Amino acid sequence: MKLEVTDLTKRYGKTIAADGLNLSLESARVLVLIGPSGGGKSTLLRLLGGLETADSGRIVMNGFPLDPQEDALQAYRRRNGFLFQQFNLFPHLTALRNIVLPLEKVHGHPPAQALAMAEQALARFSLLDHAAKLPSQLSGGQQQRVGIARAVAHQPDVLFLDEPTSALDPEMTAEVLGLIEKLAAAGQDIILSTHEMGFARAVANQVAFVSAGKIEELAVPELLFTAPKSPLCQKFFSRVMRY
Amino acid sequence: MSRRHTLGNVAVALALVLLFGWLCTTVFALLGTQTDWSKAWEYRETLWRGWWMTLEISLAALVGSVFFGLLFMLGQRSPLVVVRWTCRAFLEFVRDTPLLVHLLFGYFVIFAPLMSRPLGDRGWDDKWMIGVLLLSVFEGAYLGEILRGGVESIPKTQWESARAVGFSRVQIYRYVIFPQALRRVLPAMAGLFVSLIKDSSLLNVIGVAEYFYNTKNFISRSYAGLEGYVPLALGYLILTLPVAWLSHWLEKRFRHET
Repeated sequence: MKLEVTDLTKRYGKTIAADGLNLSLESARVLVLIGPSGGGKSTLLRLLGGLETADSGRIVMNGFPLDPQEDALQAYRRRNGFLFQQFNLFPHLTALRNIVLPLEKVHGHPPAQALAMAEQALARFSLLDHAAKLPSQLSGGQQQRVGIARAVAHQPDVLFLDEPTSALDPEMTAEVLGLIEKLAAAGQDIILSTHEMGFARAVANQVAFVSAGKIEELAVPELLFTAPKSPLCQKFFSRVMRY
Repeated sequence: MSRRHTLGNVAVALALVLLFGWLCTTVFALLGTQTDWSKAWEYRETLWRGWWMTLEISLAALVGSVFFGLLFMLGQRSPLVVVRWTCRAFLEFVRDTPLLVHLLFGYFVIFAPLMSRPLGDRGWDDKWMIGVLLLSVFEGAYLGEILRGGVESIPKTQWESARAVGFSRVQIYRYVIFPQALRRVLPAMAGLFVSLIKDSSLLNVIGVAEYFYNTKNFISRSYAGLEGYVPLALGYLILTLPVAWLSHWLEKRFRHET
């Protein structure tokens, strides 16, 4: 994936979540956003994923500039996949229906084909046994995995993951991270934000340190984690790596 | 149940039966000589037509109130502030004035001068149609608030998630929000529909020949007493009890979900 972000600004009232943010990426399969909470990771991800529109600035994804019109953004969202921290699934639908419904209604696949695709997506992540369960009958980790299965069932251009494991305990976290790693290895373009530094280092092609609405530093993980240039980034690491 | 409770229950039940029995015998003793059930039988066709009309009105107003309820709910969620305020003001007005006033004012002042002639020319029953319309708006105002409460009780994350999946606004309502919201408000809606059936009796003030109207006429023509009022009450119970049961059943069923 190729990404070009210029002068991106987004305000929520008095808070500046993106402050003239610039980011240039020639080619990367997995871009990981790290940084302090409230630094603008989520906002950047939501802007890149077409869930929010910027106050000003420009995003060019794979050569195509993002059109801020709602129709164009909806079409853009349909080509991509998105997963939040939690509560991704529709609680009144079974795991299977959660995946089938968008395939039918959003992507226009005939019911039989949608069903086959959904079952395939569940099978791929060993979730077929849970197909008939409601989200409330699944563990948090299983819910996130079904959420990911739904997000990739239509083979998205880019998969956006907003702190996908923040609401999970360590065991479930490992289960979800393993799945993301598998997707990355299979060639899926991914942009994700996370607090799991070890995972970021293992899975990323490029890591961006986001703080105060700006990209403080962008580098390959080997460089960024061993010899960060930015003082803010050094300070952040010294704090999160202490324990 | 302890012995004390059993004794208490028996005593209270006995007292209630005695009281009710005393009331019935006294009333029958006073009216018994005048009560003539054959009168009701004589007027059975009028009563039956009235009851049937009430059923028709209730069903039509049920559909109508769902339509207006959705309209009021969506109006209050409109991105246009003028639409929101107009809806809010209209709902407030409707909910804070009696249905009786709506019917009299709505029929005699607004709709009859406007619509009676054209409707009558086509051979349609203008009173029936205007009555159903006014009843639908009145119940729709309450339903709109019930639906709004239901929709607003669905967490924001569901909207987000539905948007992220690529649903359009209409699809979000249809596939994600309504199915969840309806589950939560079904018992309240069933309760409202019971009210709607009972409120339809007020249509007699504009001369719609529904069950209450026809029974009232029968009573005043034949000087009937019990033989008029007992079928009247039973007739409404036949319509409302199934809905009330449905409401309790739904309440029980959905209590354990989500």
